[in-house]
Amino acid sequence: MKDFFRNTWKHRAHVVMALPVFLILFFIMYVPMAGLVMAFKDYDFSLGIFRSPWAGLKNFNFMLVSKDMFVRMTKNTILYYLLFTSVGTFLNVTLAIAIDQLLFKKMAKTMQTIMIIPVFISYAAVQFIVYAFLGSNTGLINHMLGTNIKFYSNGTLWPWILLIVKIWKDTGYGSVLYMSVLAGIDSELYEAAEIDGANKWRKIWHITLPSLIPMVTVMLLLSVGNVMRSDTGLFYQVTRNNGGLYKYTQVIDSYVLNSILRSSDFGYTAAASLFQSVVGLLLMLFANWLVRKIEPENALF
Amino acid sequence: MSKKKNSALDIAPSRRERKGFGQYVLALILLIYTVVCFLPVWLVFVAAFTDEKTIARNGFAFWPEKWSLNGVNAVLKYGDKLVSSYGVTIFVTVAGTFLGLLVMSMFAYSISRKDFRLSKFLSVYLLIPMLFNGGQLSGYICFTTYYHLKDNLWVLILPLCVTTMNVIILRTYIANSIPGELMEAAKIDGAGEYRTFFQITLPLLKPSLAAVGFMMATAYWNDWQNALMYIDTDKKKPLQLLLINIQKSIEFLLNNNNVPSSVRAAMGGTIPQYSSTMATVIVVIGPIMIAYPFFQKYFIKGLTVGSVKG
Repeated sequence: MKDFFRNTWKHRAHVVMALPVFLILFFIMYVPMAGLVMAFKDYDFSLGIFRSPWAGLKNFNFMLVSKDMFVRMTKNTILYYLLFTSVGTFLNVTLAIAIDQLLFKKMAKTMQTIMIIPVFISYAAVQFIVYAFLGSNTGLINHMLGTNIKFYSNGTLWPWILLIVKIWKDTGYGSVLYMSVLAGIDSELYEAAEIDGANKWRKIWHITLPSLIPMVTVMLLLSVGNVMRSDTGLFYQVTRNNGGLYKYTQVIDSYVLNSILRSSDFGYTAAASLFQSVVGLLLMLFANWLVRKIEPENALF
Repeated sequence: MSKKKNSALDIAPSRRERKGFGQYVLALILLIYTVVCFLPVWLVFVAAFTDEKTIARNGFAFWPEKWSLNGVNAVLKYGDKLVSSYGVTIFVTVAGTFLGLLVMSMFAYSISRKDFRLSKFLSVYLLIPMLFNGGQLSGYICFTTYYHLKDNLWVLILPLCVTTMNVIILRTYIANSIPGELMEAAKIDGAGEYRTFFQITLPLLKPSLAAVGFMMATAYWNDWQNALMYIDTDKKKPLQLLLINIQKSIEFLLNNNNVPSSVRAAMGGTIPQYSSTMATVIVVIGPIMIAYPFFQKYFIKGLTVGSVKG
């Protein structure tokens, strides 16, 4: 113990340098964690979270009362996560390998530059672009196909629309991370494989893909903690927060944002938030435990 | 690992393979994907310079029948609002990015000191928010009722200022690319901890700072959600909120038939929804598009994520 204090005193400069982040994280991350107790409170604006009276499990009633809505948005949240993560990971890896394989290096670089552009466009702006394609009177798609599809009132199409928007926006940038791994592969491995008579596909299968697995694992693990959280912009902005589409597009995060903006149902929303956080934590711990069983090297902690 | 393959984006001399048929097929597929990626962006630019009535009649098109500068002119009419929103966005972006980079790199440097016992605890402290967090509602109430930051520009800066992921990226770079001996040497030469950090570590951290900084700047520039939740005063509204408000007012005008005809007349007969909003979109996304190619070269080098465990 005395050693520990002596060590800390010796490193007091490092303590000072670590302090700002410590404090910022404390106020923006840790205090809101404590704020989750709100789910068990009868929230009163004038009293704040901690002094509001306890309400037991009253707020969780809504999970039963508005069971349909609750089940629906939980289902949407999880299904969209699975859809985006599986398709996204596959495409990110494929694109990274494709660009890495291309021998026209100048062309590869230019194309990559263009592919990354969409990630820098905010959803507030993307919303206008999507509308230009899908609007019923002026939409490009309806004019080009000569149809009159009412996209903004046809919910069943939205999972696919959102998937396409998500792919368009994130794939170019998503592949960068994997390219950084590919850039680090020892070229001697490829040369050795060539001497052994391996063709291109065999080299990809036996050298390139295995070297990406640790990064894929880390990225998947990191995302598992966010199963219950969604890209709010996608579901709130791109759908124009259109109530008619909620059946297919409402996720927990957009429900929470809506209730914040309307200052309504804070009790229920707090219950949904707590549910979101706890499920996220459990999934993360489970996924990490699983990875550690299979390949301890790749586990997060 | 001294004989690393060159970055895939450089011309790799070790792989001077023959460009066979497969290469051309691959190039073609990638080219098509690139064009598809670019078309929506192209559409924005074309629509901004298309005649309003042409869009109303023929819909959006990749190549218009009639060009016009009216949309751009309509944007210039926002004048004051646009200038003040630009000011807010630039201030928040610059202040937030610099503050974030400074505090995060100091933290990353501290926890990567080898015999610093507290760094174990600090790493865990850093990691926990990635596993568990309070969510939007709890954060909203903390910021409004406890920190009293509603309608204060700090509320746009603080929530995006420190992220676990960015600290990890910076720490990885320090661990992998900055030789520890360099810092030992500086210490032997009598440099204090702060001097070692600011004069040795920080300059060497530049590629990572550029990459992380640019991603942070983009996050600040594109943040609409915090603005929507917290900012009320017109003068404090950033660009993204301006964009959202434009959409809301268009919807309002379209859905209300009893909007006075004088208002409609003042807007030039038709509601300036198509070309002018696209022109506004250009104004909002433009600066990032221009800055991005200068930072791209740091992406691969500077964004490597190492072990989260430390």
